[in-house]
Amino acid sequence: MTHPNLTRIAQGVVALLLFFAATQKFIGEPGTVEVFVGLDMEPTGRYVIAVIELMAALLILSPFAALGSVIAVSVMCGALIAHVTHLGLVVNNDGGMLVCMLVVVLLCAAYVLVSRRKEIPLVGDTFS
Amino acid sequence: MTSTFAIDLEKISHTANIAIVVLCGLFGLAGYFVSFYFHFLTVAFFLLVLLNLFWRHGQTSHTLLANFGFLAQIRYLVESIGPEFRQYLFASDTEESPFNRVERAEVYRKAKGIDSTAAFGSLLAFDRTEIKLRHSFYPVDTDQLEPFDVAVGAARGLDTTYHIRRPIMISAMSYGALGENAVRALARGAKLAGALMNTGEGGHPKYHLMEGCDLIFQMGTAKFGVRTEDGRLDESKLAVLAANNQVKMIEIKLSQGAKPGKGGLLPKEKITAEIAELRGVPMGQDVLSPAHHVECVDAASTVEFIGRIQRVSGLPTGIKFCLGRPNEFRTLVQEMERQDTVPDFITVDGGEGGTGAAPKSFMDDLGLPLFEALPVVHRILRDEGVRDRFVVFASGKLISPGKQLKALSFGADVAYSARGFLLALGCIQALQCNRNTCPVGITTHQKQLQTGLDIEDKARRVANYIEALHHDHVELLAALGRSSARLLCEENLYLPVQAPASPLGEEPS
Repeated sequence: MTHPNLTRIAQGVVALLLFFAATQKFIGEPGTVEVFVGLDMEPTGRYVIAVIELMAALLILSPFAALGSVIAVSVMCGALIAHVTHLGLVVNNDGGMLVCMLVVVLLCAAYVLVSRRKEIPLVGDTFS
Repeated sequence: MTSTFAIDLEKISHTANIAIVVLCGLFGLAGYFVSFYFHFLTVAFFLLVLLNLFWRHGQTSHTLLANFGFLAQIRYLVESIGPEFRQYLFASDTEESPFNRVERAEVYRKAKGIDSTAAFGSLLAFDRTEIKLRHSFYPVDTDQLEPFDVAVGAARGLDTTYHIRRPIMISAMSYGALGENAVRALARGAKLAGALMNTGEGGHPKYHLMEGCDLIFQMGTAKFGVRTEDGRLDESKLAVLAANNQVKMIEIKLSQGAKPGKGGLLPKEKITAEIAELRGVPMGQDVLSPAHHVECVDAASTVEFIGRIQRVSGLPTGIKFCLGRPNEFRTLVQEMERQDTVPDFITVDGGEGGTGAAPKSFMDDLGLPLFEALPVVHRILRDEGVRDRFVVFASGKLISPGKQLKALSFGADVAYSARGFLLALGCIQALQCNRNTCPVGITTHQKQLQTGLDIEDKARRVANYIEALHHDHVELLAALGRSSARLLCEENLYLPVQAPASPLGEEPS
């Protein structure tokens, strides 16, 4: 169903984009600050999310890629909720770029999650 | 109407299945109206709901999960940590298998050179099912005892006759079954203590040879290290190996206690490139040895084969087996007499199962236990009038001096132990020998796990263990009123009524 090489590529994409996103948040790039102001989470939330994203980016390249993908999927779900409920699909006149990136990460992470489902800690054994 | 309080697990789990959906929704609302931080919980519960839906409706292999949802997972989680919990917290000191904590602790203390006396009485329950040693009113002074000396090959008058001077030997464990560090620590320990070590059936014993100890080369049914491509004996390879002056004896493995009637099995997880080379086998698949030597199909061909090995190697040569049918053994002995080809030693392996990976039923249900088999072998050899021509080695859970003396009293000459030495190396009985994940780095080839196994330190422990066993052997022998281990006999044993060592082991003839 899934291909090991595709999984590796997906892991790379997730790690790259999450690393980029985390760095943006750490350095306080104005666009990200605005997003978190919109969510009323500035600045604590920005740093918390940045740390989680960085963790996911590192984990998904490690032997614990399955765990990394779970975290990545979770963060992206949260981001999706933010866009749907608070921010709208177009942020800072980016023509939906941010949301597109988000969906790409979500899909790639989900792909990794599915292909590595047996390696997920605690529940991996229940998948066939 | 019953008035007893009962937990209706089914109801609880169904409520829980609905509750997580409701909670997910509530957290979503809270995230929208109160604070976005609530969405951390929304997401977590959302994923749990998805997972739960899959468990209940998307899979059929886990009945409990399908019927009850995520709460059933608790059972699997708790069950998975059960072995550790039982070992650490709940199992009593005399409860675990194959070795309980009392038995293991004795080995650990001997290996570390700590005083192993106990106080306030034995922890064992005596219920007349145990075999005990009978001491004498008149113990012998320990300085009057003859030094331990068993000559293997003397009956044939071989130049290569080997004198065993320690009452305990390290039993067959191959490189492959054990990792490099473990093999070297054992070999170095054997060298330090002057004990004999068996190489196991792992092919050319590269690591066993490294430390300079005396070795028994074991030839398994696949003849790793001395085989031709079709699995027959390559005489030239055997001759080269036998010419190595560390190799003192050859042991032909006919069967082993862990899986009598079945060949050895090395799981593919444990086959490295080096092991594949030393054994001459491919990587990536389990290595299965045949159930018997291709040359040995009946008593006559087996004895011929033994004679051939004796001629080619020029060394004391013996056979190892786990006893099944006594009559077959009797026939084999008679055939040996007829051909006038007698192996120099016989290793009786108890059906208790050793470190070897084996199918469960083979481990549990096949083969006579050692204390059943030994007296039978001893009696048959005596009946046939050839007991003096053999040295008998015994193996099967002989990790304590008492058990070793019992084995000697049942008719053995020298005791073998494998697992005792693993414990001396620091084995914690994690029961993962076949998975390449041994947490103490003994039965694994993972470098990372082996780093903790310091060869020098563990070799000292192995030597300590051998020395402590020998010390206790001497003390016990003196207490039994025997001036030499040769004089031990069944008179030194207390056998309970319906003893495990009753003639049950003997087939009706």
